[in-house]
Amino acid sequence: MSVAQNVPKLTQKELKKRYWSFVWRSYAIQASWNYEGQMNLGFMYGIAPIIDRIYGDGRPETLEMKKEAYKRHLAFYNCTPQTSAFVLGITASMEEEYARKPDEFDPNSINAVKSSLMGPLSGVGDSFFQGTIKILAFGLGITFAKQGNILGPILAVLISVVPALLVTYYGGKFGYSAGNTFLKKLTAEGIMDRAMYLVTIVGLMVIGAMIASMIGITTPLHFGKAFSLQKTLDSIFPQMIPLAFTFFMYWLLQKHVSTGWILVICIVLGLVLSPLGIFA
Amino acid sequence: MLVKAILLGFVGVIGVMDSRLLGRSNLEQPLVMSCLVGLALGDLTKGLIVGASLELVFMGMANIGAAAPPDLVLGSVIATAFAILSHTNAQTALTIALPVAILGQMLAIVVRMFISTFNRWAKTAIDEGKFAKARHYHILWGSLLYAGLYFILVFLSVYLGTDLVKNVVAMIPKWVTDALTLASKILPAFGFALLMQTMLTKKTMVYLLLGFFITAYAKMSVTGVAIFAVLLVLVLNEVLPKKQTAHTEQTADDDLEEL
Repeated sequence: MSVAQNVPKLTQKELKKRYWSFVWRSYAIQASWNYEGQMNLGFMYGIAPIIDRIYGDGRPETLEMKKEAYKRHLAFYNCTPQTSAFVLGITASMEEEYARKPDEFDPNSINAVKSSLMGPLSGVGDSFFQGTIKILAFGLGITFAKQGNILGPILAVLISVVPALLVTYYGGKFGYSAGNTFLKKLTAEGIMDRAMYLVTIVGLMVIGAMIASMIGITTPLHFGKAFSLQKTLDSIFPQMIPLAFTFFMYWLLQKHVSTGWILVICIVLGLVLSPLGIFA
Repeated sequence: MLVKAILLGFVGVIGVMDSRLLGRSNLEQPLVMSCLVGLALGDLTKGLIVGASLELVFMGMANIGAAAPPDLVLGSVIATAFAILSHTNAQTALTIALPVAILGQMLAIVVRMFISTFNRWAKTAIDEGKFAKARHYHILWGSLLYAGLYFILVFLSVYLGTDLVKNVVAMIPKWVTDALTLASKILPAFGFALLMQTMLTKKTMVYLLLGFFITAYAKMSVTGVAIFAVLLVLVLNEVLPKKQTAHTEQTADDDLEEL
C-alpha cells in the first residue's frame, strides 16, 4: 500500500544536501510572488525534490499521488524566506510521514500546519531581519559610506547575510528533524488524527486573523457629513468587508466556479468598484 | 550612454533578484544599489554618498505583508545614476527617486497580478504530469519576468532620460492607481478562500471566526492569535474526550480496510 517503503533512507551526506536545498529554495521563494497565492509556487518549488523522491517510482498510482502532492502545495503561502526554511523542513517530514502511512494521515493537515506556522514566523522573521538586523547593518553602513568608505555597503551586507544564513540553515534542519521525531511519537501513541484536528483549528484561527489584518478593503461611501458607511459597518463589527469578500470567494469556490474565472472576477471587481467609489 | 545604460540595467537586475532569489539579503538596499551604480559609472565616492542619504530615507520602509511599497531598487538606481551623470547632489536625486519608486510600485502590482495566472498554468502542467514545467513557472519564468522588467525599466530611463520617467508618472491618472490597488487587495481574499477550502468544515467554522474577531476587535497581531490558538488547542486537548473527534470515523474506515 504505502509508496514510501521502497524509498531508501537518506545518508548523512544526502541529508546535508537536503538542508542546503532548503536554504536555496527558501531564499528563492519569491521568484513568482503573486497576489493570489503569494509564495505558493515558491513553496511548491521548495518541496518538489522531496515529493519527486517519494513518488519517483513511475507507477501510474504513484504518479496520481505525486500530482496530488504537487497541487497540495499550490495553496496560499507567505512567510519570511529565512524562517520559511523551518516550515519547509517540517512539511518535508510530514510529506514523508504521509507517504509512509497514507491511511492514518490526513494530507489536509499539512496545509493546516503550514498556515499556522507562516503567520507567526513571518511576524518574527520580518521584525528580526527587516527590522533589527537591517537597521543595525545599515545604520553602521551609512556612517562609513558618508565618508566615502566602501566598507559601508560591504559591512552592511555581511551583517545582513551571516545571521540570515545561519537561521535558514538551522531552521530547515531543525524543522525536518523535529518534525520527524514528533510525528513518530504521534503515530506511536495513536493520536495522529486528534493532533491533526487540533492543528487545523490553529490553522483556521490564524487564517481568520490574517483576513482581519492583511486585506484591508474599506468603503469611502458616505452621504453628506453625517453618514459614513464605513463607520456604520465598523459599529456592527470591524473588518466586515474583508470577511465578506473572503466568503464571497469561498462561496464561488464551493459553487465550482473555476479559479481562472474567479481571478478575472477579482481584477474586474477592482477595476469597476474603485472608480465607482464603492470600495478602496 | 548605451553601455552605461546596459550596465545599470544589470545593477537593477541584481537589485530585484535579491528579493526574488536571495531571500532579501539586503543587496536591494539603496546603500548597496547606489554603490554598484557608482562602480558602474566610475564614481564610487559619489555613489556611496548618495546611497547613504537615500538609505536614510528608505530604511524605515520594510516590505511587510501584501501591500507593495515604493520600489527601492528602481528608485535608488535611477536616482543615483541621475545624480552622477548630471552632476547634481543627493537632494536632487531624491526628487527623482520618489516618482520612479512609485512608478515601479505600480508596475509591480501589475506584474504580480499577471503572475497569478501562473497558478492555473502550473496546475494544468501538473495534471499533464509535466512537473518540471510546473516548477519552471516559478524558478525560470517568474525570475525572468522580474529581471526583464527591471532591466528594461532601468535601461530605458537611463537611456532616454529621467524627465521622461517623471512625465510618465505624472500622466497616470489617480483612478488607475486606486483601481489597481483595490484589485491587489481583493486577490489575497481569494488566496485565503483557496486555503480555507481544504480545511474548513461546518464544525470548524467557529475557529476561523474566532481568529477573525479577535483580530478585528482587539487588533491582535497574527502571531498573538497563533499563540492563543495553540493555548486554546492545548485546553481543548484536555477537555475533549479522548478517542473522540475525527478519530472514531477514521478508525472505522481503517478497520474495514484491514479486514
